[in-house]
Amino acid sequence: MGVRSMGYAGEILHVDLSALKAEKIPTDSYVQWGGGNGLGTKLFWDFCKDKTIKDGRDEKNVVVVATSPLCGTATPSAGGRCEIVGVGFGHYPISWFTRSNIGGRFSSMMKYSGFDALVISGKASRPVWIEVTNGHVRFHDASLLWGKKARDTQLTILTQLDDKNNGWGWQPLPGKKESVAYSTQKPAVMAIGPAGENQVAHAALVHDAGNTSAQGGFAAVFGAKNLKAVSFFGTGYIELADPMAHVEARFRLKERYAPDPENPDLFQWGMLGRAAPINFAGSVSKNSRLQACVGCIMGCRVRYDVGYGNETKCQATAWYAAPAAHYYKGDEKKIGELALKMADYCNDIGINTYAFSSSVRWLEGLYHRGLLGKGKQIHTDLDFSKLGSEEFGFAFLDALAYKKDIGELFADGFVQGAIKAGLEEDYKNGLLNHPYWGLAEHGYDSRAEVEWGYASILTDRDINSHDFNAIFWAATLATLNGVPYRIDAKEVAQIVADKLKPYVKGPECMDYSDGNIYSDDVMQLLRWYIHYNRFWKNSALYCDLRWADLFDTNAKDNVGATADSEVGEQVFWNAVTGEGIEFTQGLEKGHRIYLLQNAIWALQGRHRDMVHFADYIYEKEIVETELPFFMWPCRDENGIWSYSDIRHRKIDKEKFEDFKTRFYKAEGLDEQTGWLTKQTALKYGLDFVIEELQEYDKLAG
Amino acid sequence: MSDEKKYGGMDRRTFLRTLAAAGVTATAGAAFMLPGTNLMVMPNSKGYLVVDMAKCMGCVSCMMTCSTVHHGRSSLSLSRIQIQQNSFQNFPADIHMAVCHQCEDAPCVNACPVEADHVDVLFGNVRTIDPDKCIGCTQCIDACPWLPKRLQFDPESKKVQKCDLCANTPYLKEKGGPGGVQSCVKVCPTGAIAYVDKMPDQDDTTSYNVNLRGEGWSLLGMTTEDMKREG
Repeated sequence: MGVRSMGYAGEILHVDLSALKAEKIPTDSYVQWGGGNGLGTKLFWDFCKDKTIKDGRDEKNVVVVATSPLCGTATPSAGGRCEIVGVGFGHYPISWFTRSNIGGRFSSMMKYSGFDALVISGKASRPVWIEVTNGHVRFHDASLLWGKKARDTQLTILTQLDDKNNGWGWQPLPGKKESVAYSTQKPAVMAIGPAGENQVAHAALVHDAGNTSAQGGFAAVFGAKNLKAVSFFGTGYIELADPMAHVEARFRLKERYAPDPENPDLFQWGMLGRAAPINFAGSVSKNSRLQACVGCIMGCRVRYDVGYGNETKCQATAWYAAPAAHYYKGDEKKIGELALKMADYCNDIGINTYAFSSSVRWLEGLYHRGLLGKGKQIHTDLDFSKLGSEEFGFAFLDALAYKKDIGELFADGFVQGAIKAGLEEDYKNGLLNHPYWGLAEHGYDSRAEVEWGYASILTDRDINSHDFNAIFWAATLATLNGVPYRIDAKEVAQIVADKLKPYVKGPECMDYSDGNIYSDDVMQLLRWYIHYNRFWKNSALYCDLRWADLFDTNAKDNVGATADSEVGEQVFWNAVTGEGIEFTQGLEKGHRIYLLQNAIWALQGRHRDMVHFADYIYEKEIVETELPFFMWPCRDENGIWSYSDIRHRKIDKEKFEDFKTRFYKAEGLDEQTGWLTKQTALKYGLDFVIEELQEYDKLAG
Repeated sequence: MSDEKKYGGMDRRTFLRTLAAAGVTATAGAAFMLPGTNLMVMPNSKGYLVVDMAKCMGCVSCMMTCSTVHHGRSSLSLSRIQIQQNSFQNFPADIHMAVCHQCEDAPCVNACPVEADHVDVLFGNVRTIDPDKCIGCTQCIDACPWLPKRLQFDPESKKVQKCDLCANTPYLKEKGGPGGVQSCVKVCPTGAIAYVDKMPDQDDTTSYNVNLRGEGWSLLGMTTEDMKREG
């Protein structure tokens, strides 16, 4: 091993599944890419020899599981995230090079075992799983694991590795001499369930009880590669450049922003300071605890004593709650229980709830329209009159995961299935609301919350980044509950705009009134959003549910922790790595990563003409949203700020195309094609892409 | 010879307490060996860590901060507090918190053949290990009656370490040790670790697990009831 940069484990592990061989690569030459998304993108570029592939299940695809320098440290809400990149599966019309993310303790264990990233290439000739223990790599036969669900798979592996009760006592590691290496910890396993084995687009990678890497379809890619699971276990350490500064910043951040668990402000506005767990099913037992990923400032999940629902959260707990509420009218206990059991089962079979949760409503509509049922246009043996029941829920999930019944039709994605079934019109008119790249809307309509939609279509997937979205939730819930706004619209716009400098001039970037959503101000906000994501969130691996903290009522002045000179993202980054960068330099790194990804998308076949929403976004005004308001700061004709309902509009296609042109220009991309230009490649140190882009005639300028 | 015979029918701890009652104590000074015996008489620590295992959320921030303030490195294996977590278990057995008890009659101190594991009178009588003296024999680990062991072997330095209540923390800005800052207490997001100056009941194996959940905790939907746990 060469020189070990501060914050890094020092080596990258490459496994060639075709040859069942492992090699170790020094991390040092990749340090300029930070970690996570940036590190993974550069590794993909170097290891994937054919970047024209359009389906992640192609044997030539390379998947990278990458950590950041912050992983395995007590950096608040950043120590436990892990990024996965590669060509995904399930997008429409092309499965792009994309990304996903998983929490828990997988990334920290990977680093403690000696590796900053795992590069997976080739395809095993038979099912395998990989064990990594303190730098040692072993390929195991997984034929007996194939067919098992994710939970059982992990428990089987843990038992196999834990044969001396290691992990629940202070014991020597397996195969080690006593007193050499000890741990009280358990290996961290990431596995696929049946959905991944069956290579369905909505399959999810699962780690521990409730961590999933769901969007992107990487579990299908694992399945195609015959890779059932990966386990990391290590007793190592991460060297910090300035340990005292790191500890001080963590203490300071807790003091200023963290929720007080003994006096929780349940109506707090902001990200870092949120106290309550993110669970839409309600609590099924008070005999429970908050549960957190490594290093988190506040747990967002719960473990109960009831034997189900552990670590489930957010959409996984929401997707079946509404059907169940309809079916079990008034039986709150049953509804909550079923919502959590369904979430549990999704994690067990390894399936992405976002991929199908809105599609359930569409399927129900097809049933009522007489298009879905026994002998109908789409045949199914599932009884949709029992949608919401326990029996239906499990049967529906089994169909999707095991590619049975309607699961066969929708295995490549719901848009693809709709087209096969002759229902493309439903995709176009938004009955099947998949606005970007054939992927399900996240719940925030692109016609209302435009930065979410713009960023999704100008990258590769549902952006799933709540930086600005926190405003929607705070203002909308306050409106819904008839309580005062904690921060008025003018103030929040000013606070956020101050955080976004020098990208934006002032608070007008936050004005989402109809006349401003195509402005240069919003375009600059979008650029900040993408760059922030690509570096601070996806590469440094700050958690989306805590960062960016743009505004925060836990602070006296309502100003959030993001970019703060004492507790901002860069403070922890610098304390760990010693790089000494400014917050905005991280954004520049994010820009560079985004440019490199544009080179990959171009090789895959992207052109700006393809970069558009589903037709309904341009043609139909919003009919309904999940909540009865969609509140956002807006200015009226007199320049007066207020929170306004921004539903009831559509996107103007011509104006959006002009917005794209200005965006491409600002990014340094070619306005005609959206491709990287030679000039930009040279300017941003991406000269290594030029030859390959020229070979495929995908370099502009 | 069994302890009972050696100490006049009393177990070791009862015997020491009898001595204390008779005025033979070391509270004002360093530990000393009682003449004619193999008994170490040691002053009580002036501080202790107690935990609430129902309040911990398993983020292991305490572990990473512990190793950081002591070693400048973030590591679970170099942490003097150990949080064990089984994601597939149900509450409350899914998490176990293991802190050094700063035992009244610390077996690890008694077991050390070179007096590396000692009572530090300069830092509130905390039981601690002098790394310069430690020979890595791990007899202290063997002597610790708890599982997981409350002492850790560092395979790189080949020394044993234990909780010193942050007395010797080159990377902690504030003063640590009894009466000072304990980094695990300060960093814990939920307040699941507390520093107390009253010795927990040494005869009760559950006494280091206390209830640190106030009424505010119930607003988060979690129980505030007492939960006895050993460790």
